[in-house]
Amino acid sequence: MLRRTTVAAAALLAAGALLLSACTGSFSASPSSTGGVADPDASIAVRLVAEPGNLDIRETAGAALDQILIDNVYQGLVSRTPDQEIVDTLASSHSVSADGLTYTFTLREGVTFHNGEPLTPADVVWSLQQVKDNASYRDSERLARVSTIAANGQDIVLTLSEPDSTLLWNLTGRAGLVLKEGDTTDRKTTANGTGPYALADWKQGDSITLKRNDAYWGDKAKAAEVVLDFIPDTQAALSGALAGELDVLTGFDANLKDQVEANGDFALVLGKSTDKGVLAMNSTKGPLADKRVRQAIRQAIDKKSIVEALGAGQTLYGPIPELDPGYEDLESSAPFDPSAAKKLLAEAGAEDITLNLTIPSFYGSTVSQILVSNLNDVGITLKVDNVEFPTWISDVYTNKDYELSFVLHTEARDFENWANPDYYYTYDNPTVQDLYAQSTRATDPDKAADLLKQAAKIVADDQAADWLYNGASVLAIGTDVTGFPSVNVNERMNLADLAKTKS
Amino acid sequence: MIRYALTRLALLLLGLFVASALIFVTLRVLPGDVAQLIAGMNSTPAQVAAIRDRLGLDEPLPVQYLSWIGGVLRGDLGTSLLTGSSVADELVQKGQVTIPLGLLSMTIAMLVALPFGVISAMRRGHADGTAINVAAQTLAAVPVVWAGMMLVVVFAVWLGWLPAQGFPRGGWSDPGLAFRSLLLPAITIGVIEGAMLMRFVRSATLQATGQDFVRTAAAKGLTRNQALVRHGLPTVGLSIISVLGLQVAGIIVGAVVIEQLFSLPGIGRMLVADVGARDLPKVQGELLVLTGFVLIVGFVVDLVHRAIDPRQREAE
Repeated sequence: MLRRTTVAAAALLAAGALLLSACTGSFSASPSSTGGVADPDASIAVRLVAEPGNLDIRETAGAALDQILIDNVYQGLVSRTPDQEIVDTLASSHSVSADGLTYTFTLREGVTFHNGEPLTPADVVWSLQQVKDNASYRDSERLARVSTIAANGQDIVLTLSEPDSTLLWNLTGRAGLVLKEGDTTDRKTTANGTGPYALADWKQGDSITLKRNDAYWGDKAKAAEVVLDFIPDTQAALSGALAGELDVLTGFDANLKDQVEANGDFALVLGKSTDKGVLAMNSTKGPLADKRVRQAIRQAIDKKSIVEALGAGQTLYGPIPELDPGYEDLESSAPFDPSAAKKLLAEAGAEDITLNLTIPSFYGSTVSQILVSNLNDVGITLKVDNVEFPTWISDVYTNKDYELSFVLHTEARDFENWANPDYYYTYDNPTVQDLYAQSTRATDPDKAADLLKQAAKIVADDQAADWLYNGASVLAIGTDVTGFPSVNVNERMNLADLAKTKS
Repeated sequence: MIRYALTRLALLLLGLFVASALIFVTLRVLPGDVAQLIAGMNSTPAQVAAIRDRLGLDEPLPVQYLSWIGGVLRGDLGTSLLTGSSVADELVQKGQVTIPLGLLSMTIAMLVALPFGVISAMRRGHADGTAINVAAQTLAAVPVVWAGMMLVVVFAVWLGWLPAQGFPRGGWSDPGLAFRSLLLPAITIGVIEGAMLMRFVRSATLQATGQDFVRTAAAKGLTRNQALVRHGLPTVGLSIISVLGLQVAGIIVGAVVIEQLFSLPGIGRMLVADVGARDLPKVQGELLVLTGFVLIVGFVVDLVHRAIDPRQREAE
């Protein structure tokens, strides 16, 4: 009896979730409020998969840090909305000169840091200059074309040596974050920013607690506290949700939809993302140096079956995902066609070859099993080498010692890697590099996007790699929770609107 | 006895030294380093080199080893490359989860093993004795992960009696809450370890039944069970003390798995994360303490065994 009601409830909820997932383009696609009033004293528990090694936003890589700290704790002059639009944040307004060489930001007044000190134009100049001058800082090179950074009253003026169509976007990221000049806060374990939340506590190996910043310059955060619980194991996260210990699960598995929705307290929400499942092919040696072999591999892999197996996301046939400028559907560069693949392999004299795939073990076996089976169908034996991530970084990323590699690239607008011959992709095409450089120098955004589109088509036609899928942000959100972002949550997770209704 | 203790102590120190060298060398063989991981997937070789230099990773290995051991001898276990926090502080912090978890697991294991082991030996050949034995065999073969998941589904998700995962953020400031969050993980380890230990208790008890002194006691008028309880069980206790020394290592390994499964912020989970981050100074400090703990427990068990077993004393 219990079981039957559970199944019925699950079916109802599944229908509901389908309706919900149809509106994922909006700012927030969390389930609509049950009619209760948001509780200003709420403490909301959010499950995250990966814990950052430390909190140093200047030096330590990893999307986990961006996700937790940017927008919530640290802010820049500008920031990006979930719809990937650029909006003023610590700047109250900004303007760009017609020649694209002068950027003027007017700094908002009355902003304070979490330690109570006021934000001054000197802090902004100092922060940007620090990033530009310290080569070991993340994204330092993104300010390479900025020649001077100066304050003029309440205005911050950047002058460029040549136009840079990516500058504003880059300022929404780490390069643009504003810290207090001369701050002695230990950035590795604490943080002092201007955002709607202050970092209250980091219990290493367990959780990070964000507390509402009551002195915030804008609309105050709706929840008193957000606890980010690091739970790598999906099953543990599911149990925690069902036992009522967690309010939101990020990085969830869409195949567990029925289980998490079974008791009616959660709904599965899917959002678009810039996660790109990249099957990199080392074209510097062996059979993969032959474009026909690379094309055959792409045509042998059934992308739709991968998306189906993951239960979320969509197919992707080129280097640029739908959320980024320059996207177009490039399926025609290598449509799924095993017999065409066999023909190409025969032409290349590469029948019956063996290839090695290096894949970090935390991705599980879903993708690699499909690859083994698809490639086996066209006569390629795929050996799968599951490795720890540090091994991948060392062997594949640093030493480029691999044949095929799979990694999920989450970063938005990262086409530059295809224009960098030193990147582990081993792709070196001067035309693409030139188009990319032109695109970054363009002063008109549409022109810049169009140049990226041309470059992306060449990359796909060169069969530089394969793109197995464009992932989704998979969330399970409590039905009493509102305002959780759904788009590209792996990269950014602005919690300012997050709220929980009184139960 | 003193000579024995001194020889045993020398062996312990030698063991610790060999362990420190092994730990240091095996960690250096792991591919990938912390600088590459800090720099991440959009870094240039120059960035990685700058970080490596700042962290002192370019020092020759013997120099790194000596400075580590020198620190350990002065009571400094080292500091994390990532957060700069001291390894000793981290161990104390995470030990507040792992040590109670280990003690609780051990207690549960004993509560399972002792009564059922002795009863199943005394009732050998009877249906109930056989049933206990078969149940133990089955339990001992259950994978820890599966057992943990089942317990969570029943006691946390369905019944809602105990937390499904995690440890209170306030730690032991609310002892009831903290204890409750360790209960399911401890039962998971304890019952499985207990089932293995039970088979050992059973065979030790059976062996004791056949001993001369038990038979003599029975010949002098005690029933067989009375003779066993009064004269046989003390020898069973002795063998169990030796096995417990080995169980400690088993429980540490169990904690690594179970802390992951229940997302408990303990030493096991920290160790896995630190290996993954290649924070080697931290990992080597942690491993040295864990290895040292197992070696010291073995040392104490040997001394206790020697002190309380009249047969070993007389052999001297």
